[in-house]
Amino acid sequence: MLKEYWRFRGSLVPGLLASSFLLTLAFLLFLTLYSATSSGESIFQTLDARIITLLKFTLFQATLSTVLSVLFGTFLAWSLAHQSRFFARSFLIALFSSSLVLPTIIVVFGLITILGKNGWLNHLSNYLFGYSFEGFLYGLSGILIAHVYLNASFAARALLHSFESIPKERYKLAKSLNFSTFKRFKIIEFPAIKSTLLGISSTIFLLCFTSFAIVLILGGNPSYNTLEVAIYEAVKLDFDISMALELAFIQLSISIILVLVSSTLKTGVSNIKTQSLFIPWREPFYVGILQKVAIFLFGLFFILPLIAIISDGLNSDFIKIFSSSVFIKSFSTSIYIASISSVITVLFTILLASSKRNFALNYRLRKSFAGKFIAILISFSGMLYLAIPSLVLGLGFFLLSQRFTAPLVFWATFALLSANILMSLPFSLSVLYPSMLKTAKRYDKLCFSLGISGYKRWIYCEWPYLKESIGYILALSFCLSLGDLGVISLFGSQDFSTLPWYLYGLMGSYKNSDAAGVALVLLVLVLSIFILVPKLFSKGSVVKDR
Amino acid sequence: MLKIDKIIYKYKDESIYNFSMQAKKGEIVGIVGASGNGKSTLLDLISGFLAPTSGHITFDGFEITNLPPEKRPATILFQNYNLFEHLSVEKNILLGINSSSKKDDLKKIYQILDEVGLKGFEKKIVSTLSGGQQQRVSLARSLLRDKPILLLDEPFTGLDFDTRVYMLKLVKKITKTKQICTIMVTHELDDCKQIADKIYEVKNKKLTQLWV
Repeated sequence: MLKEYWRFRGSLVPGLLASSFLLTLAFLLFLTLYSATSSGESIFQTLDARIITLLKFTLFQATLSTVLSVLFGTFLAWSLAHQSRFFARSFLIALFSSSLVLPTIIVVFGLITILGKNGWLNHLSNYLFGYSFEGFLYGLSGILIAHVYLNASFAARALLHSFESIPKERYKLAKSLNFSTFKRFKIIEFPAIKSTLLGISSTIFLLCFTSFAIVLILGGNPSYNTLEVAIYEAVKLDFDISMALELAFIQLSISIILVLVSSTLKTGVSNIKTQSLFIPWREPFYVGILQKVAIFLFGLFFILPLIAIISDGLNSDFIKIFSSSVFIKSFSTSIYIASISSVITVLFTILLASSKRNFALNYRLRKSFAGKFIAILISFSGMLYLAIPSLVLGLGFFLLSQRFTAPLVFWATFALLSANILMSLPFSLSVLYPSMLKTAKRYDKLCFSLGISGYKRWIYCEWPYLKESIGYILALSFCLSLGDLGVISLFGSQDFSTLPWYLYGLMGSYKNSDAAGVALVLLVLVLSIFILVPKLFSKGSVVKDR
Repeated sequence: MLKIDKIIYKYKDESIYNFSMQAKKGEIVGIVGASGNGKSTLLDLISGFLAPTSGHITFDGFEITNLPPEKRPATILFQNYNLFEHLSVEKNILLGINSSSKKDDLKKIYQILDEVGLKGFEKKIVSTLSGGQQQRVSLARSLLRDKPILLLDEPFTGLDFDTRVYMLKLVKKITKTKQICTIMVTHELDDCKQIADKIYEVKNKKLTQLWV
């Protein structure tokens, strides 16, 4: 068996080293958090009413957000699948794809502009009906709206591919058997989307459970706080590190359980292109109308905040914004941190995926018993972020910065880079790993028999087939890093700031015009990178069967 | 001579394959049988993609059972994915041979492409070729690798009748002139009857000689 392992050392060892590095980092942070707890009490002995309330609300909002997002997302994907000729369908799908990388803070900014107390909707209502409603956006409703905005579109995008993968013959058979629309969904469509639905639900639940920026800004008051926001407040506002630690441990325990439960499910993130396939089923008139209205309304709900950001942003004084030293600092910090972390993410993803695939392939180490354990360990190291949410991670680095004297910039950079890499890894792995597995399944035998290995294999066999996915994960991790408001909220200051943190500061000090300008810069930056980088990489790609 | 001596292979579902056979130089051995009976498993064992649980594989008296695929005296042609579609014919063939000098290699490539009826196709990108032409490129590469055992894993399935007949004749000619052992796995008994010197059937995961 060792001989077999030795044969694949080239792909096995680097991946195992990368995995060990990530696990060691997580373990060190855990030790830091653990050693900082002064009392030897178990956290479960100190659970007070406030913590239980926090925990209940965190779970409640995550569950409700997931249910609503999945319901809306499924309905939208179903509608899009059956309305292949809907006006601007491709444009809408492309926009929904970007929901994963849209910085939450600009989504919140856009939603406030539309649905806030002084928002467009209120103005319209006032103009049309003379009725002005109070701010319904702050509190649970706001949290749910923002979560549905981001996650329903993400779910729709992933589910649409499942709908389009259903063989057309099944539809023809169902039609010939005179199935109703409901029966068709129950017997043909639901079984086909079920597994994707499960994976997406678990991803959305984890994202909502650890949601930070949305709850921080739209939560409104302490009764709508989640664990993440409570950790932030304990560190930054109350200076109560022991409370922060207590919350961090609870957050950590629940996240680990959730990750372990959902580790076998897919995240639902992919760079698979939908093909706008025509489904051979003419919808009854009223069903067709319902589907068109659903696409139109959700499209409007999704586009309006983006239009609001663009229209408000264009009215900003960009000369003033661009000449501000804090903006320049924030912009350059964001770019260099996102660049470094995206490159490292891609590297780690390749190493972890090429190591892990050894244990899934027939002509490699699939039969190895120890391999199963190693594969789980590699998967876990790639999913660490979901188990250790950014605020908990940030708290660990924050404590390290208190213990070991070094310039704040050092700790902040290190914390941001680590958080960004860990945050992007679960998504980038779920994109690249299936592609790497597919390439190896196709060409392993050929490469082994011809003795093509090492760099030669990479140049001729892997890169041409993987470069499109690599471009996608590079863009994805860059955008995720660019828009994060998690760890920076613990380290952000006048001296060290990123664009989202700068925007948060502007929003907090009611400098709305400047905030609109910065939000527009962030939006343009994220969308350009997310659209252009994968295009750059897809030039000359040989992947035809996606 | 290729000798497969009481090779036992246990699959993960606990099914046990049991193979014994011989193939002489210049001989074509056809292997037929229903799907799932282990035809391809036999070729995987000979080419080194799978390691047997017990038994021996020898060639000209040398034990090759534990050699990795690239070091075995065998070259294999699959039904699919024999070539990198984005590369040229020339590059695909070059990847399969141990280069001495590029000039010599190119000369050999032109010769072998002529032999398989693809003269002038050197610079063409593989994805622009037809299925039959692609299989001829794969065959050309296999031949240029100069290995004494040629394994064919249903390589002509899916080709039109004329191309298949042409390929079968080509394989027969090459086997005889180069004096190599050719083992062809197929589910088309007629293909085997056309060119094979002997035919084995894989039944119940065992080999039975059908016809000499």
